[in-house]
Amino acid sequence: MRVFISGGCKNGKSYHAQRLAKHSAGSGRPLYYIATMKPVDSEDDERIARHRADRRGWGFVTIEQPQNIEEILKKCDTVGSFLLDSLTALLSNEMFTAGGEISENAAEKISGGLRQVIEQIPRIVIVSDYIYSDAIKYDPLTEAYRKSLAGLDRLAAGRCEVVLEAAYTQIIAHKGGGVFDALP
Amino acid sequence: MILIFGGVYQGKLGYALERFGLTQSDVYYCSEDEAGIPKDKRIVCGFDRWILALIRADRDVLSAVDAFIKQSGDVIVICDDVSCGVVPVDPQLRQWREETGRAMALVSRESNEVIRLFCSIPTRVK
Repeated sequence: MRVFISGGCKNGKSYHAQRLAKHSAGSGRPLYYIATMKPVDSEDDERIARHRADRRGWGFVTIEQPQNIEEILKKCDTVGSFLLDSLTALLSNEMFTAGGEISENAAEKISGGLRQVIEQIPRIVIVSDYIYSDAIKYDPLTEAYRKSLAGLDRLAAGRCEVVLEAAYTQIIAHKGGGVFDALP
Repeated sequence: MILIFGGVYQGKLGYALERFGLTQSDVYYCSEDEAGIPKDKRIVCGFDRWILALIRADRDVLSAVDAFIKQSGDVIVICDDVSCGVVPVDPQLRQWREETGRAMALVSRESNEVIRLFCSIPTRVK
């Protein structure tokens, strides 16, 4: 079961995503957390350490993959259950490079990797952020970022059997919601 | 009238073209600089941009939208949902956000069908 989940911030996406991934792992499969955040300061380091401690009780093995997402196919057993959190961070990492340059083909590059990942991993939960409904006229760069993320979201949503939107910890099922209802 | 709304880049226009078997020649694209009533094409796309044009031209938004509804027949209105973010600092964008909400409520009331798009997936809300 492949799941795409998005929604606004602090709506419970990660929590539900963890439940779904854990459920998919069953009793024998490895459970992977694909960490995409690239820490830039000590605040990020602390946040990551905290999240990591939270997940430890769930049985996740953390794989750091802030770029080149297709590399998880080599690092992990694809029979496992994966939680990829998030497309938003992956895009930032690929689009805004360390040297301060903007990579214009970031979305295309991630699309290629993401297609392979979704094709070869039958149990994956992919998290993204819904950043498309505000009344701001953004600068061209931010607008390009939103457009690119929407393209990745739609690619993932189109290929996943289950598409969910988190709304203040509740779930709106756009596709395949029965799976979510069946969770313990 | 049919209203299709959703966040930006969610596949609203693509959905409308496919579902109703229409082409680009059936689409009127609203502009932020054109306050005239959208031309009578099957699809009026970017309704929110027309609302911004009305505000910039200092026109009364709701009476313009009302006139549009009265003179438009079997039209499909496509509008970006701009209602969910942080309140903008810019007063004009603040007004845009609110007037778009009121305009959408009017159009929604007059529509036989209202559809929201999320990642290319439609949900019928009316």
